[in-house]
Amino acid sequence: MDFDAIVVGSGISGGWVAKELCERGLKTLVIERGRHVKHRTDYLDFSAPWDVAHRGMVPEAEVAEHYAVQSQCHAFNSATKQWWVRDSEHPYSTPADRPYHWIRGYHLGGRSITWGRQTYRMSDYDFGANLKDGHGIDWPIRYADLSPWYDRVERFAGISGATEGLEQLPDGHFLPPMALNCVENEFKKKIEQDFPTRRITVGRCAHLTEPTAEHIALGRGPCQLRSHCERGCGYGAYFSSLSATLPAAEKTGNLTVITDSIVERLDYDHAKRRISGVRVIDTNTRQARSYQARVVFVCASTIGTTQILLASQSEYFPNGLANRSETVGRYLMDHVTGIGASGTHPGFLDRYYYGRRPTGFYLPRYINLTEKADVDFLRGFGFQGYSGRSSWQRGEHETGVGAELKQRLRTPGQWGMQLIGFGEMLPRADNRVTLHATRKDRWGLPLVHIDVTHGDNDLRLANRANRDAVQMLVAAGFENVAPLGKVNIPGQSVHEMGTARMGRDPSTSVLNARNQAHDVQNLFITDGSCMTSTGTVNPSLTYMALSARAANYAADRLASGEI
Amino acid sequence: MSDSSNQKLNRRALLLGAVLLVGGAAALTRFVRKPGIAGAADPALTAEHFALLEQVCEVIIPTTDTPGAIVAGVPAFIRQMIEEWSSEDSRAELLGVLDAVEKFAWSRFGAAFVELTPERRFEVIKTLDAQRLAIQDPAYRKFKHLVLVGYYQSEIGATQELRFELVPGAWRSCVPLSEIGRASAV
Repeated sequence: MDFDAIVVGSGISGGWVAKELCERGLKTLVIERGRHVKHRTDYLDFSAPWDVAHRGMVPEAEVAEHYAVQSQCHAFNSATKQWWVRDSEHPYSTPADRPYHWIRGYHLGGRSITWGRQTYRMSDYDFGANLKDGHGIDWPIRYADLSPWYDRVERFAGISGATEGLEQLPDGHFLPPMALNCVENEFKKKIEQDFPTRRITVGRCAHLTEPTAEHIALGRGPCQLRSHCERGCGYGAYFSSLSATLPAAEKTGNLTVITDSIVERLDYDHAKRRISGVRVIDTNTRQARSYQARVVFVCASTIGTTQILLASQSEYFPNGLANRSETVGRYLMDHVTGIGASGTHPGFLDRYYYGRRPTGFYLPRYINLTEKADVDFLRGFGFQGYSGRSSWQRGEHETGVGAELKQRLRTPGQWGMQLIGFGEMLPRADNRVTLHATRKDRWGLPLVHIDVTHGDNDLRLANRANRDAVQMLVAAGFENVAPLGKVNIPGQSVHEMGTARMGRDPSTSVLNARNQAHDVQNLFITDGSCMTSTGTVNPSLTYMALSARAANYAADRLASGEI
Repeated sequence: MSDSSNQKLNRRALLLGAVLLVGGAAALTRFVRKPGIAGAADPALTAEHFALLEQVCEVIIPTTDTPGAIVAGVPAFIRQMIEEWSSEDSRAELLGVLDAVEKFAWSRFGAAFVELTPERRFEVIKTLDAQRLAIQDPAYRKFKHLVLVGYYQSEIGATQELRFELVPGAWRSCVPLSEIGRASAV
């Protein structure tokens, strides 16, 4: 054996698995398809606005030719361009009338560099939802199974937040919270008064407000309130694979990382019910290589993992590795967003703030939990929101030029607020990732074909989120209140999940309660593809907890000789 | 850029140099086609356009107790954006705004924009700004956006006119505006 363990992918899930396995003394190989990236030195986080190419605006022809999909992500600009693939070089297909936005970056650390850093625990309302209403299959775990692992990953990652004592949003192990600003505090007061079961808390986020000795030992420092996190953070103040998990893994001496290596397929030995090899293509030399290990974790991101499984066909698994259930690639989900409302507040003109807080506030789910009347859909939504004062940007659409304009823009404008809904998307078998029958990429691998639509429940839920958001802003005294607009194109939440789901029954799911493939004992999957439902909260913290839990389970079984 | 357009630029630069030596800014306007100026399909910003652009930017963001658009490098920024950032459509829109300014100057005051008194320049831009924003004209908004980005995201605009800290180092969530002073540039 070349290694004890192989981890495919170096994003949030792969980084966590690598750290845990290395710390358990296992010689671990991380395989990343993208390029190598150096923490700190490869970031543009010390460039002032006037030093950023075209002040952040990527040339229009370049966007049209290479970044038509990636540029839809709010974090895409000329200081972050290196973190997104060129769509022109990494094509995928969709039906012409059903677009899907697959937003991604191929480099060491993956999307852990550009993620939104919002970190919330799922609750038993989420883990029990499928069983309760019959959509999808039951999760094989409950909150109690994951709770100690949430503790573990929160301590290491460093999560800032406030405890609230809410059943639907379990508290965690938090660093000090960042504060709400004046208007957000006023909003909180009014909403909690008018809607007694709704709660507003400052956004829980993977930022070090007060680093612990463990954080400092890894070279991480406190958040400096710059809020251009998506460029990468030289202070290591937010959690990423590059700032946290990979350095911790490296310290053990057990880590090997190879980049520029695409996993083409996993070889399966049916006699032993094991993965016998991981075949990769070197993206520079196009040479094929193969690696062996006792256990293999696939953490290539939901769609990337699905591609690898489907491409790994064998006599025993003619439709893709670990796909006896025919569910690999099905039940793709992404949070329903693009919903919510915005408005302006006429007051607090003598108040402002200092610094750029890299989070907002969170209004956790209430619908179908504490407020059940007059609801025509299943599941629910939560809102992420923020308030701030407008600045010079308003001059673009406000009339006025000359000394008057200059004088006016010197003072911040009105306070505005946005409430952005994130709704649960039901699992549906027809929402599916397959391999394209004929088209191949530049390495000769079949293109991914993605076919996803929102269902009736998703759209009804979206309507209600718009309605509630408008109602809350009006109730809190905001003006110019309007819904945000249309439901997003699937994929735009960048919370894709579900295509290799966990379950109790091998005939309807791919993975067991430990993220281990039912049918392949040394194969584990801990990225978003394992998710049996979406819940309403941002999923990354759950991927971390599942990854740490599965890695330690695998290490135990390797030690006892059961794998 | 093709060889022929390079030559065209060079010829313009030579002509302009000669004009400036002989007659200064007033003579320049004789080379400006009226009522419009160079065709929008022309890939580069002509020297005539740039001279006009400078004055338009300075009217929108004038020098007051802080430097104005020209000192902050706004015209050069917009030229760079037209040359390097704009799609063909955006370039046509942006040059179209400059054309519209020039047309308006001729129709209202019978002279090129750069020849007008400061008061008349202000009147032209103020009127155009009000007209175009009344209909939220996308071409004009794009132009004004670039002027504002060019100014408020320059070092002068961000740090002298407004306030900017690359590393704030702290979050103070609710403070009197008077303690902070000016709007934050980012």
